[in-house]
Amino acid sequence: MLKKSNLPDSCIISFSLIGALIVSLTLISLLYLGIAQAGDIPNLIAVASETKVIDSILLTMFAGLNAVILLMLAGIPLAYVLARVDFRGKGIVESLVDLPVMLPHTVAGILVYILFMRRGIIGGPLGEVGIVFEDAYPGIVMAMLFVASPYFINTVREGFEKVPVHMENVARTLGATRFTAFRRVVLPLSTRHILNGCILAWGRAIGEFAAVIMIAYYPMIISTLIYYKFTTSGLKESSTVAFIVIVVCLAVFAGLRHVMKYVGKYDDRV
Amino acid sequence: MWGSMTIEFDCVSLSLGDFSLKNLTFEISKGEYYFILGPSGAGKTVILEAIAGLHRPDSGRIFIRGTDVSRVAPEKRRISLVYQDYSLFPHMTVYDNIAFGLCVQKTQKNEIHTAVSEMMERLGISHLKDRYPLTMSGGEQQRVALARSLVVKPEILLLDEPLSAMDPVTREKFMSDLRSLHEDLGITIVQVTHSRDEAWSLAGRVAVVSNGKLEQEGTLEEVFRKPENCIVGKFVGIENVLDGIVVKNLEDNGCIIDINGVKIHSSCDFENGEKIYAYLRGVDIVLSYDMSGSNGGNFFRGRVLSITPHNSFYRVYVDCGFSLCSLMTEREVDAMKIEAGQNVCVFFEKSAVHLTGRES
Repeated sequence: MLKKSNLPDSCIISFSLIGALIVSLTLISLLYLGIAQAGDIPNLIAVASETKVIDSILLTMFAGLNAVILLMLAGIPLAYVLARVDFRGKGIVESLVDLPVMLPHTVAGILVYILFMRRGIIGGPLGEVGIVFEDAYPGIVMAMLFVASPYFINTVREGFEKVPVHMENVARTLGATRFTAFRRVVLPLSTRHILNGCILAWGRAIGEFAAVIMIAYYPMIISTLIYYKFTTSGLKESSTVAFIVIVVCLAVFAGLRHVMKYVGKYDDRV
Repeated sequence: MWGSMTIEFDCVSLSLGDFSLKNLTFEISKGEYYFILGPSGAGKTVILEAIAGLHRPDSGRIFIRGTDVSRVAPEKRRISLVYQDYSLFPHMTVYDNIAFGLCVQKTQKNEIHTAVSEMMERLGISHLKDRYPLTMSGGEQQRVALARSLVVKPEILLLDEPLSAMDPVTREKFMSDLRSLHEDLGITIVQVTHSRDEAWSLAGRVAVVSNGKLEQEGTLEEVFRKPENCIVGKFVGIENVLDGIVVKNLEDNGCIIDINGVKIHSSCDFENGEKIYAYLRGVDIVLSYDMSGSNGGNFFRGRVLSITPHNSFYRVYVDCGFSLCSLMTEREVDAMKIEAGQNVCVFFEKSAVHLTGRES
């Protein structure tokens, strides 16, 4: 609900001016890029219809989605345990969950590489049965999953924490097992947070570059392709691809935010 | 004996963060309306949750219907719990909320429909069937929560301060509904509250809990008239809790105590020199202007200090060597034309003076 606007005071005005600095940086670069592209529409269309570009964008989006689906499978149970149970060493687990947020992305890349390379602890045995991570789709997904996991887990955990324990308790006294109470009460009441976690994690996943190229330079995700074009063909070509990515991402995320408006509305606590 | 007891706590201790229940032992019989009274933060809700199986005791045992339930999950206990905040599921309609328990117990659809409809009818909430909880008033939510807990036919119903958030009119109505539900269904009800009035009008037996400890347990009469210590005495609202010392034991005739230099006769039996608390209820203290009718009781002359209204009564504070508070009706105050500064006679029976030991 919009608040009735009062006359802005000097504090709000000065805060807005300072804040505008950040927004204007993004805005100026976007405008600059947009104007440059608008000046050469045929080139924009040509690049946008390049199979390589389309494939790369789809690959990035799908790999990100794939990482999010895997995250949901493992992250929702973990988030529930972190939200509801106090145990010895919980702080350590929490730090491990948060670690990918703080690590330089190349370090994250190295961690993923160590595990999933051909001779890696996980990559080795799985390679034997035909699942290869190095320079392959599964490698991209794992790198994305690693860097996106904290955003998903922490958002979902927050959602679970907002569901009052009392509700779960009541469900249990009425005959529901803990799992049934989770499925029928906690999960539906956390839909908003879960969806939000998915959006954040997906955004983080498709934006990843360093961690991904260390395990999988090929097939090229969009960041790799842009970097490749930047280093081989220069700014003009790479910025055209960049512009296309911006448009696609804006459209997708604006669409998702719109969907969010209609999810979990019965609940005025969120 | 175990056959007739529904809930038994045997030396139960339980700690939750900074809070702990200490060595709790009490029994609740089948079909009883039992009250757990205590100030906020005394651990009343934790006791209910322990009965429901939501907390496992660190030591001691809890018996339900004679069996040790320490390892029985809450969903297997047939105990319903209604929280103070109602805890209705906001994503379900009233109907679905009430049907929840039967649904998870895999009851047949038509049976669920009949049971839920009957329960809504009984609590007068049929018209709310398709509403969502957050759009309803507190009183309506409370009824839905009660319906949801009763529809699964529990043997024990636990109520956590069910009346605290209600306006006085709704509250009166809800109290009489609770009373008739208890009579009709014959279930055991354990209700937690910090309100003495609720206990007075509903309870069979009460327990007073303070700071995780059971201070006293017994019938209403016992707890409200004969508190076992000063925490209970003050909590149950006895207006005069006084420190004194026993100066003379009268063999079979009670004892004489000294309070601030004034000698008072009590029918309790205590030894010479014992330190005591004396409890004297305001309604037992009679004020008058003459000394007639004094035979064997305690009689003093005093001066009225102040008169303050309290609920539908007046508290009249009198100085008679020590300060006493007498409760009088408006009619009595008017009839006597009592004012501050007046000299009055104070009378109370020796049997009205209840004593307990005092350590320091």
